[in-house]
Amino acid sequence: MTDLICVGAIAGAYGVRGEVRLKSFTADPLAIADYAPLTTRDGGRAFSVAIIRPVKGGFAARLSGVTTKEEADALRGTELYAPRDKLPSLPDDEFYHADLIGLVVLDTGGAELGRVKSVQNHGAGDLLEITGPGLKDSVLLPFTREAVPTVDLASGRLVADPPEGLFPE
Amino acid sequence: MSRSVWKGPFVDAYVLKKAEASRESGRNEVIKIWSRRSTILPQFVGLTFGVYNGKKHIPVNVTEDMIGQKFGEYSPTRTYYGHAADKKAKRK
Repeated sequence: MTDLICVGAIAGAYGVRGEVRLKSFTADPLAIADYAPLTTRDGGRAFSVAIIRPVKGGFAARLSGVTTKEEADALRGTELYAPRDKLPSLPDDEFYHADLIGLVVLDTGGAELGRVKSVQNHGAGDLLEITGPGLKDSVLLPFTREAVPTVDLASGRLVADPPEGLFPE
Repeated sequence: MSRSVWKGPFVDAYVLKKAEASRESGRNEVIKIWSRRSTILPQFVGLTFGVYNGKKHIPVNVTEDMIGQKFGEYSPTRTYYGHAADKKAKRK
């Protein structure tokens, strides 16, 4: 599991009073303020976030310690991170994408199939995108109890029982 | 303009054949199809189709609320990953 999760980014200054244009990557965009204080990738700076209003491409927000347009401009492109422990715990069979990404995928015989690269949802249920050294192209595995009977976050692996024809022979 | 009701839903014949064969065999398999224009019928519920998006087959697990839609709607042709952040996945 990753300790820090990227929840947003600063797109630049908004106005001339030290406000920033904030892009939110969270499922509910407004929820980014709930994870404050947000830090930079290296943890060197921490900001509390006050969202002022929605603007094109995100939110106008005021960050602690940023009072001028120049300071806000200097932060353009900075990604904002929240600690993993700030995310609320989930019921059984629900997982954060951030926890699933990077898990080792094993088949029912214990052989490694690859690793989870991303989690996608195109309207027909969640899909795990799996890449591996033996795979020419990534494979999408339906995230169902039949296809993924075991998810073990503690040991960083999941067991897959994919339908026939999904993985190349 | 919507399709005339008297024509019934459009489905490519080979999709029907493949779905029927898969249901009869009872095997847990992905039915590879290229027909994005075919309508999802009630007899497809419970089957998994691999719907071609121009590059690869995207698995589509057919459920009841998908009846009447087209297969292509569940197999996007453009990729956008976005950020994981606090997004959740539910195992069904």
